[in-house]
Amino acid sequence: MSKSAPLIELDNIQKTFFSPGGDYLALKGINLTVKKGEFVAIMGPSGSGKSTIMNIMGALDSPTGGTYKLKGKDISNYTNDQLAEIRNKEIGFIFQTFNLLPRTTVLGNVEKPMVYADIPAKERKQRAMKILERLGIADKASNLSNHISGGQIQRVAVARALAMNPAIILADEPTGNLDSKMAYEIMDIIKHLNSKKHTIVLITHENDIAAYAKRIVRLKDGLIESDKVKK
Amino acid sequence: MRFSEVLNSAQEALKGNRLRTALTMLGIIIGISSVILISSIGQGAVAFISEEFSSFGTNFFQITSGQGFIGAMVGGGNPITKEDANAIANESRIDNIESEAAFTFTTRKVSAGEEEDTYSIYGMTSSSQIILKPVILYGDFLSEVHDDGINSVTVIGVDVAEDLFGVDTNPVGESIRIDNSKYRVIGVTKSPGGFTGSFFNNAVNLPLETMAAKIIGNDAIQEIDVSVYDENQLNQTMDDVESFLRDRRDLDEDEESDFTLQSQADTLETIQNITGLLTAMVAAISAISLVVGGVGVMNIMLVTVTERTKEIGLLKAIGAKEQDILLQFLIESVTLSLVGGLIGVFIGLFGAFIIAQVVNIPFVISLVTVILAVSVSSLVGIIFGLYPARRAAKLHPIEALRHE
Repeated sequence: MSKSAPLIELDNIQKTFFSPGGDYLALKGINLTVKKGEFVAIMGPSGSGKSTIMNIMGALDSPTGGTYKLKGKDISNYTNDQLAEIRNKEIGFIFQTFNLLPRTTVLGNVEKPMVYADIPAKERKQRAMKILERLGIADKASNLSNHISGGQIQRVAVARALAMNPAIILADEPTGNLDSKMAYEIMDIIKHLNSKKHTIVLITHENDIAAYAKRIVRLKDGLIESDKVKK
Repeated sequence: MRFSEVLNSAQEALKGNRLRTALTMLGIIIGISSVILISSIGQGAVAFISEEFSSFGTNFFQITSGQGFIGAMVGGGNPITKEDANAIANESRIDNIESEAAFTFTTRKVSAGEEEDTYSIYGMTSSSQIILKPVILYGDFLSEVHDDGINSVTVIGVDVAEDLFGVDTNPVGESIRIDNSKYRVIGVTKSPGGFTGSFFNNAVNLPLETMAAKIIGNDAIQEIDVSVYDENQLNQTMDDVESFLRDRRDLDEDEESDFTLQSQADTLETIQNITGLLTAMVAAISAISLVVGGVGVMNIMLVTVTERTKEIGLLKAIGAKEQDILLQFLIESVTLSLVGGLIGVFIGLFGAFIIAQVVNIPFVISLVTVILAVSVSSLVGIIFGLYPARRAAKLHPIEALRHE
């Protein structure tokens, strides 16, 4: 893959939700390309399709029309297990809520994606500890995930997203549950990751959070309304 | 994903809700422990009885009044008599018969000096020595001179001797008292093989006629034992003796015998049959209990899957495949039932051990039963865990993540 080749290519992506009460066309043909190292914020009011596009980009769902190429490979028609592998190796998720596994330590949470990738226990631990150190929460490694604060939870979530060194970090309203001070802290971390060549796709409806991104894509009614790169 | 990782997360999940885990296991524990308990005790009883019998040898059979196994215990009908015993010895002309002996039995208070206790009193002829082969510790056994007329002599068991006269004392020449009559001790016996609880050790033996006249007051006997030379011909000899006794009693062809012949092998077989039947019955009841336990496991696993829907969504988002989720929940249900099964095995064996000590039978651990119990309990976990685990595995990641 050459450096300029796009990481994500969405070509006329459509998504219809079928239901007995009538089908609903959530995405009406999205064309979007994200290159390596970009920091894109996807914005839009609720019902605009931003969650749906994030689910498709994150290989959590398949489009009903169009093609999705990730690193040049068309994954539109992948099986559930193939998608699971993509999520494991290429995507690092940061969700708004319920980010960490209960009954599991901080270290265990960060190690978990590596468990599914069959990375040996010793290497797992080393890698996880290194990431936790980078994010300044190594001292919480053996705490249970429900014994740390909200800001720390999101830091651990960032650490877990980095565990497999994925192609993209997908953050779905990562600051939605945090007060503004902690929200900016997390955004600073995400911004810093981008400066280290991590590709970031951020879903948000808050302008001040979106302002951290270099490019803002606005959705409306299942279509792209605007796509602006900050100068 | 490695097996040990799955095992770890199953362990964490089960520890997370100890009370629920324990209650779910209870059904399995009850099922498995009852099978283990009953089969261990049953086998212990059979082992005990086999050992008891083998100490007497297997070259003889018993004739008792009444019909069948139950009839033999309660007696009834036209009772067998001393004359029957004499006729078998003197008139039957069956070559294989080595010896015969008639027995009568009761319990009485026996005293010697200050000591007094209740013992089993047996009336027997001198010929019983040939059949039952008691070990003589002191003095002599009953001899032919004691068979006829009144002879107030007795041969007592080693435990009786110890109770009445003290440990390691030779009581030959001393007297014991039964129903205000004195009997001179002429010998002390022990059961062959020395198995505790064997009948010679605790018995007070009197000459048959003496006992009939002085204690029972009639000529009734309870049992005739017949020993044979050739053990391989035992069944043939039993048939011959049965025909002979039927002739003596003028029974018609179509009438059933009003007495019962039973060899040690027969008795052992009967007891084994009863034990086997009992074990099968308990196994059947336990199977029901295991199914109920299994349904309990399934129920809890379904609740667990629902409760942990969001968690399953998160695991899928970070790369868990369907089989990873399936395996995780399956291991949880198998762990539940397997650990339940192991606890059941432990409780069952512990209970059997206690009971074996109390009733004084050997404590038998059947490896086959234990392995079977453990396998069945894991199987229950697999069967009843499969549906909930599949349900978890098939969850759509987005719907699971959105679940409230």
